[in-house]
Amino acid sequence: MKRTTRRLATALLVVAVGAVVLVAAGSGSRAKSQVSAGGTYKVGWEQSFGFTDNMDPVGEYLAEGFAIQTSLLDRTLVGYNHVPGAAGNKIVPDIATAVPTPTNGGKTYTFHIKQGVKFGPPVNRQVTSADFLNEMKRLASPKDGQEYGFYYNVIKGFASGKGKTISGISTPNASTIVFNLTQPTGDFLYRMSMGATSPQPAEVTKCFEGQAGKYGNDLISTGPYMIQGIDKVDISDCSKITAAPGYDGTSKMILVRNPNYDPKTDSTAARQNFPDEFDFLIDANKDDIYSKVAAGEFQDEISSPPGQVLEKYYTSHSPLLKQYSGDRTWYLTMNLTAPPFDDVHVRKAFNFIMNKNALVQAWGGPAIGKVAHHIVPDTLFNNQLAEYNPFATPGDKGSLSKAKAAMKGSKYDTKGNGTCSASACHNVYLLADTRGQDLKMVPVIEADAKKIGITFKVHSINGAYPTLQTPSKNVPIGERPGWGKDYADPLTFFTPLFDGRNIIPNGNTNYSLVGITPAQCKTLKVKGNCTNVPSVNSQLDKCSVLIGQPRLTCYENLDKYLTGTVVPWVPYLWSTATHIIAPNVTQWSFDQFSGSTGYAHVAVK
Amino acid sequence: MSSFSGSGTPLLDVRNLSVRFNTRDGVVQAVSDLSYTLRRGETLGVVGESGSGKSVTSLAIMGLLNRAHADVAGEIMFEGTDLLKLSKEELRTVRGRDISMIFQDPFACLHPMYRVGSQIAEAVRAHEDVSKSVAQARALELLDAVGIPNAKSRARDYPHQFSGGMRQRAMIAMALVHNPDVLIADEPTTALDVTVQAQILELIDKVKKEFDIGVVLITHDLGVVAETATHVLVMYAGRAMEYGPAHEIFNAAQHPYTWGLLESMPTVEKRLDMLVPIEGSPPSLLRPPPGCPFHPRCKYRFEPCDKKRPPLQSIPDGHPDACFLSPERKREIWKDRIGAELGLTV
Amino acid sequence: MLIYLVRRILWAILVVFVVLFITFLVFFKLPNGDPALRFAGKTPTPAMLDEIHHRLHLDKPWYIEFGYFVKTFATGDQYGWPGLGYSYNSFASVKSQIVYRAPRTLWLIAGAATLWLTFGVAIGVLSAVKRRTLVDRLAMGFALFGISAPVFWLGLIALYIFWRTLHWTAGTGYTPIAQGPGQWFSHMILPWVVLSMLYTAIYARMTRNNLLETLGEDYIRTARAKGLSERRVIFRHGLRASLTPIVTLFGLDVALLVGGAIITESVFNLQGLGWMAINSATQQDLPIVLGVVLCTATAVAFMNLVVDIVYAFLDPRVRYS
Repeated sequence: MKRTTRRLATALLVVAVGAVVLVAAGSGSRAKSQVSAGGTYKVGWEQSFGFTDNMDPVGEYLAEGFAIQTSLLDRTLVGYNHVPGAAGNKIVPDIATAVPTPTNGGKTYTFHIKQGVKFGPPVNRQVTSADFLNEMKRLASPKDGQEYGFYYNVIKGFASGKGKTISGISTPNASTIVFNLTQPTGDFLYRMSMGATSPQPAEVTKCFEGQAGKYGNDLISTGPYMIQGIDKVDISDCSKITAAPGYDGTSKMILVRNPNYDPKTDSTAARQNFPDEFDFLIDANKDDIYSKVAAGEFQDEISSPPGQVLEKYYTSHSPLLKQYSGDRTWYLTMNLTAPPFDDVHVRKAFNFIMNKNALVQAWGGPAIGKVAHHIVPDTLFNNQLAEYNPFATPGDKGSLSKAKAAMKGSKYDTKGNGTCSASACHNVYLLADTRGQDLKMVPVIEADAKKIGITFKVHSINGAYPTLQTPSKNVPIGERPGWGKDYADPLTFFTPLFDGRNIIPNGNTNYSLVGITPAQCKTLKVKGNCTNVPSVNSQLDKCSVLIGQPRLTCYENLDKYLTGTVVPWVPYLWSTATHIIAPNVTQWSFDQFSGSTGYAHVAVK
Repeated sequence: MSSFSGSGTPLLDVRNLSVRFNTRDGVVQAVSDLSYTLRRGETLGVVGESGSGKSVTSLAIMGLLNRAHADVAGEIMFEGTDLLKLSKEELRTVRGRDISMIFQDPFACLHPMYRVGSQIAEAVRAHEDVSKSVAQARALELLDAVGIPNAKSRARDYPHQFSGGMRQRAMIAMALVHNPDVLIADEPTTALDVTVQAQILELIDKVKKEFDIGVVLITHDLGVVAETATHVLVMYAGRAMEYGPAHEIFNAAQHPYTWGLLESMPTVEKRLDMLVPIEGSPPSLLRPPPGCPFHPRCKYRFEPCDKKRPPLQSIPDGHPDACFLSPERKREIWKDRIGAELGLTV
Repeated sequence: MLIYLVRRILWAILVVFVVLFITFLVFFKLPNGDPALRFAGKTPTPAMLDEIHHRLHLDKPWYIEFGYFVKTFATGDQYGWPGLGYSYNSFASVKSQIVYRAPRTLWLIAGAATLWLTFGVAIGVLSAVKRRTLVDRLAMGFALFGISAPVFWLGLIALYIFWRTLHWTAGTGYTPIAQGPGQWFSHMILPWVVLSMLYTAIYARMTRNNLLETLGEDYIRTARAKGLSERRVIFRHGLRASLTPIVTLFGLDVALLVGGAIITESVFNLQGLGWMAINSATQQDLPIVLGVVLCTATAVAFMNLVVDIVYAFLDPRVRYS
């Protein structure tokens, strides 16, 4: 009897467990099948697109523009998988059959074009090497609106040909294109992943020569989507071309499926193309955008959430709040020629005394990002520098004892007690901006500096960048700046910021004047102490020719050298890229390359 | 109270009318205990200074006083009905149809934005359900009757295109559309030139005779009254001072106030230095003086005048007045002083 | 009457001309630097600057420059009439942008103006007739609320109640009437009500005050003496005479909203002319700002003309002055 009961119990248990397993499997697959093709993915965009070149890839430098190009409209020779993290920064083939390794000592790159990659309507033909050359020429021609042409000066004859010819690009046949560089360039493949290198048909672009941006209204697609109505545009003659109705430049951009896109020439790892349509809609009212997202009328947003909205999603740990590394560093910049910051002891002490935690609080707290410990965000180094924090203090709150210890030996420590006591330490000009976060940061900076004897005279300017970017204004310290990557290579964080040869009289981005020479000081009217200003020019040149891990290691060492030895900055915040999505979004991905939504992988119910 | 004989039953019989206004400063007794009668074919000239209550009386008759602010006591009998007991709607049917009123400044009294002809036609349709064209025709008829040349084209004009005299004629026309029994004219000539004044008074008189109506002519100017009134009521501080047939008032006035009015009236014969104004100014109606309201300004006041109010009483061979002077004294003063000054024989 | 009309039309043309001149000074001449830079948007290339210099005749003496400015405005340019030029920031002609956005602004104004005129005058009349009663005090209390409540607050509250909570109306945004009258109405009803609130309040007070003043006039007494019904006295005699200042104000209010309904357009995401002007200003898109300024100024001049004509119909005394 007992045996029968036990057998019965076991049988029942087996059945029960089996049922549970079946139910779990069923709901699992049900969950999977919830992600399906179809629907319209609507994005609420605040106030105005803000495109730099109206979505003409040759000059579009806006991050949001990149996000749309790379996922939906403009395929390039090589590209990305549009996912977060290090995987999202990895170069993969897109129109090219494979990612080439350079030959000729790193100076020659040969790409082969996949068959079956066609232009969308109304062009309707296979993409050829001539189409790539056409776009490179547009990129070389200043009057067509290009903004980052300087990345391609490494191609032979690019700069000198002025857009008419490029001797360094050859097209032996319709499906092969060869790039010859002036020197080995480790990040050349990244440069070829930018939208400005995507192929464009000359029969259409010729109609827009010299009219920067206008082509954006009639952009011919190579991607899975195209501008609504572009198929009806008459391109038989330049005089007949009208703007595609789906994109009006100021209030909406509607993208529908490109019938000429062949998924077999692509990979689902890179693009899944679930929605039938993408609507990017301008909305004048920020609160309205987030209301609509919560109600499911928008799926996504391009804006920045108001404090309370962010707070609500953050504290409730809502899965609809998407936050990823923004690959952007916010920092206080110190002028290496201006007292008292011309003394490295002072700069180090400043790094130790700053309550970086409080500065992040001024921005809105941990929801906005985390404390930065060095110059380049960790994702760009594949987290290899994650432990590097030369000015560590408990809780990132600053440490008076460490600061004083660092100050000792400074020529401004006249009293020998670890504080900045010379007259140069008092009423130092601090340049601040007037955004909400700037107003909150200034008191923190002032209070902390006072602890080591530095007092500030604060100048608040609405739109402080132009002042900061003018060396002749001799700004000793500025609290405004932030810098984000152009593509996933540390070069984009060093060359514009620390190359002494790049210092220009207006629009200068090397605010700290690292590597400036006395001769430059004279021409640029820099009044400070220009003798023996540290320079990293040779290291920059060394790193730029390397590839692979050696390149990364080289730049990592450069970061360490700059952060800990040259000390031009007090980095304090690595801000997150934040998106709030609607409840009816069934799949969402972050695109690490552009720092925005990976539209290639979103799905809506 | 009417003590003289007239023909026919009274059209209008005002009995002990009192009007009190409640103002923020206190109670203003605008009209006190006023009585008079009006018969067909009569023109009653109501004379007094501003503030004497002469206009208020007429407004009370027309029911144009705001009942929220004014307390009206007494009786106003019109063809047997007490107007004061009628409802607002019933009063509205009387106004403009049985009793009409014209006012002092015809320019301000006509709506500036509507044509004159249509304003008269509107008066027609206020009490009669007729078509617009019928009303328009009647308007033209009346404009013609009051002596406006080219009535047809003038009817399409706006008030500002009419001269002062023509406007008043038009007002009279408008008042007559329904053949009212009583026409009240409140200072109809004050705003007009002297020559036009005479024309208008003549017109009113003609209308009275032609239509056989009763006219109440309110004015501060005795001269106006002298031409056309059959009876005169002299008011002061809201009360009747003297009330009688016109020829008696002018040839044998009994009240010192009337004497003062007559003496101060300019005529062609008198030189300016012969004008004798009445000294002083009208009393405050908030705090009227005790006794006779005129006594502070009266040259002939004597002992009882500041103690008791003289009632309106008739004298033998005369008409009612409100004065303590003896009849003999009154006749004496008239004969020796006033009448002589005025060059009148008794 | 004809002379009056002709005079007023000539005045209107003169006003537009003066506006053109002042606008020309403000946008072209007064600020320092090269006007072409200001017109070229965010990425001025030398080719762009050359083209602008040529198109706007910037190298000629100022009176010739102004002459072309007026001529282009009056007779049109390659983008149509009126000639308002090209915006490099939006990559479209200014006229096309204005034509795209004008209908929604005009619908907004038309609907709101109808509401505020009807309700404002009605409440004002009611208040005047029932002076010092509870009705009057309530009405004037509402007027105070309408004048004090900020449009953006009213708008957000309205959206929250009627869209978010009750789902009675559509949310923000605009659907052209051709694409669905029901949807169009559903989008417009809240902006109409919210925008009209402030004006309803102002017009109610104004009507009340004017009417009370008018009702003290002699011709009102005459009208009553004629035995007219009280309703006729109030409306045909009283209100008719009170209308003239209201008409004048109405014309000006409507005209100014052409470029001025910025807050309503932002809160309800209507993206009309006012919103476009502000947006363009912060993005330094000068041609669009210039275009909207000219349109608003012309609208004001035009509405003034209309008001003058209506005035003449209302008050015959004006026709002969």
